[in-house]
Amino acid sequence: MTLDPRITGAIEYGQDQHIDGMLHARILRSPHAHAIVLSVNTAGVPSDVVTLTRDDVVDLEPLYGPMVKDQPVVAGDRVLHVGDAVAAVAARTPREAEEALELIEVEYEELPGVFDPVEATSDSAPLLHEGLEIPAEYRPDGRNVCHRFRLKSGLGNDGFAGAEVVIEESFAIAGAAHNPMEPHATLAYWEEGRLHLITGTQTPFNTRRDMAALFRIPEEMIRVVVAPMGGSFGAKTFMRLEPITAALARKAQRPVRAVLTRAEEFITVNRHPAQFRIRLGANRDGTFVAKSVDAWWDTGAYADCGPSVCTKGGYAAIGPYRIPNVTVDSRCVYTNLPPAGAFRGYAATQGVWASERMTDLMADRLGIDPLELRLKNLLQDGDRFATGEVMHDVRFAECLRNAADAVEWGEGRKNKGLAVMLKGMQTPSRTGVALEIDAGGHVVLRSATTDMGQRPEIAQRNLAAHALGLSPDLIVVGPNDTDLVPFDTRTTSSRSTFMMSNAIRAAAHDLRQKIAERFEVAPEDLVLSDEGVGVAGSPDLSRPLAELAGVRGDGTFVTPGGLDPDTGQGIASSHWHQAAASAEVNVDAETGVTTITRLHTAVYAGNVVDRAGAELQNEGSTIFGIGSALYEGIVFEAGQVTNGNLSDYEIPSTLDVPDFTYELLEGGEHSHGLGEMAVPVVPAAIGNAVAAAGHPVRNLPMSAESVLG
Amino acid sequence: MKIQVRVNQRPVELQARTDETLLTALRRADFRSVRLTCGIGVCGACTVLIDGEPISSCLVLAPAASGADITTTEGFDEDDPVATAFQEVSAFQCGYCTPGFVLTARALLTENPQPSDDEIRHALAGNLCRCGSYVKIAEAVRLAAESMRS
Repeated sequence: MTLDPRITGAIEYGQDQHIDGMLHARILRSPHAHAIVLSVNTAGVPSDVVTLTRDDVVDLEPLYGPMVKDQPVVAGDRVLHVGDAVAAVAARTPREAEEALELIEVEYEELPGVFDPVEATSDSAPLLHEGLEIPAEYRPDGRNVCHRFRLKSGLGNDGFAGAEVVIEESFAIAGAAHNPMEPHATLAYWEEGRLHLITGTQTPFNTRRDMAALFRIPEEMIRVVVAPMGGSFGAKTFMRLEPITAALARKAQRPVRAVLTRAEEFITVNRHPAQFRIRLGANRDGTFVAKSVDAWWDTGAYADCGPSVCTKGGYAAIGPYRIPNVTVDSRCVYTNLPPAGAFRGYAATQGVWASERMTDLMADRLGIDPLELRLKNLLQDGDRFATGEVMHDVRFAECLRNAADAVEWGEGRKNKGLAVMLKGMQTPSRTGVALEIDAGGHVVLRSATTDMGQRPEIAQRNLAAHALGLSPDLIVVGPNDTDLVPFDTRTTSSRSTFMMSNAIRAAAHDLRQKIAERFEVAPEDLVLSDEGVGVAGSPDLSRPLAELAGVRGDGTFVTPGGLDPDTGQGIASSHWHQAAASAEVNVDAETGVTTITRLHTAVYAGNVVDRAGAELQNEGSTIFGIGSALYEGIVFEAGQVTNGNLSDYEIPSTLDVPDFTYELLEGGEHSHGLGEMAVPVVPAAIGNAVAAAGHPVRNLPMSAESVLG
Repeated sequence: MKIQVRVNQRPVELQARTDETLLTALRRADFRSVRLTCGIGVCGACTVLIDGEPISSCLVLAPAASGADITTTEGFDEDDPVATAFQEVSAFQCGYCTPGFVLTARALLTENPQPSDDEIRHALAGNLCRCGSYVKIAEAVRLAAESMRS
């Protein structure tokens, strides 16, 4: 068998991209969390090293960002977090670049910082961004607030008057580091005014759009080629190294490659630390009556996709329940921490933790079995969610029962916990794909889905093969290059399998139409097979695929929707990710160490199109969830990361992962993304098990200290 | 300085400064399967075999490897039982950590052809996979052990 390039090492990630004569970039970063930049002096840097300071970007748009334009390429007057880029260099070798950094002199005047999203909203907190233009769809209501998502259904808070029992609790979730094994890496070069980026990104089209705006050039003057990523988990979403690398390459007039160090990974983008205050009202029989969610999402110095995180996490914290009266007030807040952005489990991890711990606390209060309480209130087909949208293809109860059975819930609840969730998918959203016959008799699949380890080409080749009636061997995936692939919103939110399965079906239909036109027959009379194209009843018309080279079918799939930011009403998700988990633990009462004795996840997979890939995604999600549950939290001290390495910040190894089980529930009409289903429910189920063992935890991660605390 | 080693049974001359690591020197010589992640000997992405033993090449100064017999996955045959087992059970996602796991697994199975599940878990604990492919990696090691015995 030909060995996979991932085994032999032949695969070329972003960090392996190379062009002769290219320079290596390094970034000079602020040691202060908040300071005025008085001066930046590069006079001591050798003349053959290219430097980039604020003086080199005055002709660019001053700020960029995927949702709020608030981030400079390099700092202007102020730095806003430890690690903020102040200057950059490009040199012939990484070592020369590193040495040049030490020759740049920067004078700072320190300012007070703020490191807590609740404190940041108080009048005494420093104002981190002044005069920002916030797009009309966001609500910057409050000091340092870049967006506030509000939802009200039924009577809202007045609904609590009708509840027999009301409880109120607070929860906190630490920031976490994505830690893809491969760091961020970008190669940039300019050719006749056109910018070429070869980069590990989940968002080639967002990057092209935002880079065009930043450099004030048309989108056609930018080409983004996506390199396979050695993991991303949300970290390589939206612009990261592209602006600074492209600006360096522009000044150097040579290709420039930037690759981050591990320490830089911890100060570039992280998971949002979040705080919740939740009230839940129910009747004594367990019927939920009212719920309010107050949330503060610490988006750090720059918003990145924080406005969307606070929205999605806001409604995720409602949970998959029928609650007649709901209010959500979810704030995305600037602080002097490093920026926070997309992270596998996208806001649901934090929201589900708070919401599902709350469900168990209500079960305790009412003296009702947590499984029964959930089943009594779970959304069912035809119910309306708090956003007003009607739920279809609902499997919450099925997932939850499967999870409960796996830990023999009926045999006793000692040390056991459950969790169930709904998680939205990027909505509205658009996906295009093309299927084009080539001279070799293959069908080339042109898709912008990026590969961060999920190997999407397997599922997509299977989908195309099935739609065309060909063997997957005849489908080849073309290069992921914005010059060659149709527009796709982005590879995030576990949307690609769902969106692409629909777009590929449409493209296959179109390809059959186009072939039929060539043959001047009705499409239903075409017979496609690995041998070629034939026409029913006319064997003499058969031709090999290669003779149809150039014939192309295009398919597009669009999901409409979106929520009103003031009322939270609308379509949050065109379809829902549905999952449940169960756990059983032992907690050492002396040390606080939690040992997982049983763990199970049940996720609604729909139609599985890549069996091994589906299993790997769910296994990986489960392990990610274990990390978030027990080990992973960034420790900040006055804005400094104090555990920014893989020794002090522990990601799960084989010794941290117990044997676990799972069920991919199949059925329905669609294929669902599986990349994030288990991530949010695993910590919540473990937390509820830890609570059932006598330690009513409120915060993540459940470190030994916090369990005993 | 120039450092003479054998990589995958062939003589190779590495170029490195005295303060550079074997990882840096191997990557400079285009052995891209050897990768930097943590830089402190925790993650195993830079694993190579030196005389059959898995070593974090980020912790070895290049000159100290002079004369060493080094193995990387670039040198694996297409019928290698460990590599083919990883491929058969799809024991990888992004693949960045995969060469390190494959090498560690080969070292384990050379020393212990019939490892228990617990022995596999302990042997692989020095390699991190952030995608979380551990279940299938363990399965691949069991499959490789089986095929090497038969």
